[in-house]
Amino acid sequence: MKLISSLLLLVSVSLPTMAMDNEEAESWIVRLSESLNQLNFNTSFVVVKNNQAEPYHWFHGVDGETGAELEILSLLNGPRRDILRRGDVVSYIEPELQPYSVNSPRISGPIPAIFSQDMTTLVDNYEFNAVGRSRVLGKPAQLIRIESRDEHRFGHWLWLDMETGLPLKIALLTRKGQLLEQVQFTHLVISEQPAESLQQLKQADLPPILALPQAAMNNFNWQIDWLPPGFKKVNSSRHRIAHTKQPVEFMLFSDGLVEVSVYVNPSQQSQRPVEYVMNGATVVLNQVVNNVEVSVVGKIPSNTAKAIADSIQIKASTAP
Amino acid sequence: MSESKFETVSALMDNDQQNIEELDRVSEDEQLAERWENYHLIGDILRDDVPDTIVPDLSAQIAQAIAEEPTVLAPKKSKSRELFTAAKAKVVQLGKPFGQVAIAASAAGLMIFGVQQTNVAENDTVAPIPKVIKTMPFGGVADPVSLNYQTPDREAQKQAYIQQQRRFQALLADHNQQIKLSAVNKDAAKEEQKVEETAK
Repeated sequence: MKLISSLLLLVSVSLPTMAMDNEEAESWIVRLSESLNQLNFNTSFVVVKNNQAEPYHWFHGVDGETGAELEILSLLNGPRRDILRRGDVVSYIEPELQPYSVNSPRISGPIPAIFSQDMTTLVDNYEFNAVGRSRVLGKPAQLIRIESRDEHRFGHWLWLDMETGLPLKIALLTRKGQLLEQVQFTHLVISEQPAESLQQLKQADLPPILALPQAAMNNFNWQIDWLPPGFKKVNSSRHRIAHTKQPVEFMLFSDGLVEVSVYVNPSQQSQRPVEYVMNGATVVLNQVVNNVEVSVVGKIPSNTAKAIADSIQIKASTAP
Repeated sequence: MSESKFETVSALMDNDQQNIEELDRVSEDEQLAERWENYHLIGDILRDDVPDTIVPDLSAQIAQAIAEEPTVLAPKKSKSRELFTAAKAKVVQLGKPFGQVAIAASAAGLMIFGVQQTNVAENDTVAPIPKVIKTMPFGGVADPVSLNYQTPDREAQKQAYIQQQRRFQALLADHNQQIKLSAVNKDAAKEEQKVEETAK
């Protein structure tokens, strides 16, 4: 009797705590996106991967008059790479291309864009857990683990400032806990008013908005038979890869947190065994099978990339 | 003359002669000295004042030994020392130029290293990816290299490697580019959906 009651007690205690954990994690996630959207902050962070460190400076603010969000994200080493955002216009200034703008409500940088949006949409594929507290950037931080529900994805660990909810550290890990890439914040200042540089951005002339061809329903003579659950096609196109001038057929998939690119093009080689590299957490995988070159790029395990590449079928009807 | 000589010896022995010149003459004359020695020995024997063993002409032996000693031992010692220092000098002389060469070589090595380093750094600023890219065969085992065709094979491998690095770099850059551009299409797709829904 005692045993049963104690078992009951255990169950009744452990179930609510699990739910509590998720609830706690959820409230932290909500707070993170609110803070990223609403606070005026001036912060620096370093992306560490493959024994390399890339330092960035990041300003974010909300224009008191119009309510539009203002953002500047700059890479501090090497040639200038700046991303500017004013409301729904994002401008990219990069050494390879003429500066250009796109209509988008978020910038695409080292911090996953979903962090400033509704992250609860990820729950089908990821589990959120508030697991512990530690000291990061001299502040008490709450650790939230975003773990994949299957073995096809990496986990994201977030250390959030307990005071503001802003990220202090982000780590990408394999399911076995091997660290692949991390973003360590090195300085964080919250202010009442947007920073001076953001005030200037309000009046700045932004580069012209790129007129992109609408994503037509591209009919490729190939199809992907397998993707990890939750990945949806967000784009497809025929274009040339800028560096090699190689014409490719391209599809982009996203599970909300990470993006995966798939490239298919005819090859002069008949076969080439699969090769891949890891750039931090990003895998670049490439192989040639029966004169068809297939490449998969994204922040996914190499086994997942290989499975995607192997699942590509050339439709028999149009094959030469 | 010889008789008179011997007389002086006996006279000297009997301390009759006090002439120092005479004594000097006796000690200098070998024959007289021998006679002097023998007379003394006879006298010693008569007085029963002799050691158990009599070594005749001991002095000559000692004198010879003394005479030989420095000429045999001292030069030997100095000779070996000379040899030693000569050898040392040779080592130093040999060592010095080699050392200088070594230092020069190491300096050259540093320079080359430095140049390579700066090259890497320069490349880095242009294209940050190649340095971090490490290729690995998927199975974890590299194909064995044929010994007969090593040189062309290696050249081909090198070319293939460079090609591969270029490919990976290009794909990575394009992937990042496409993510930036796709944000637009994502919204456009959503809007299209909305339009379709409202049309229904």
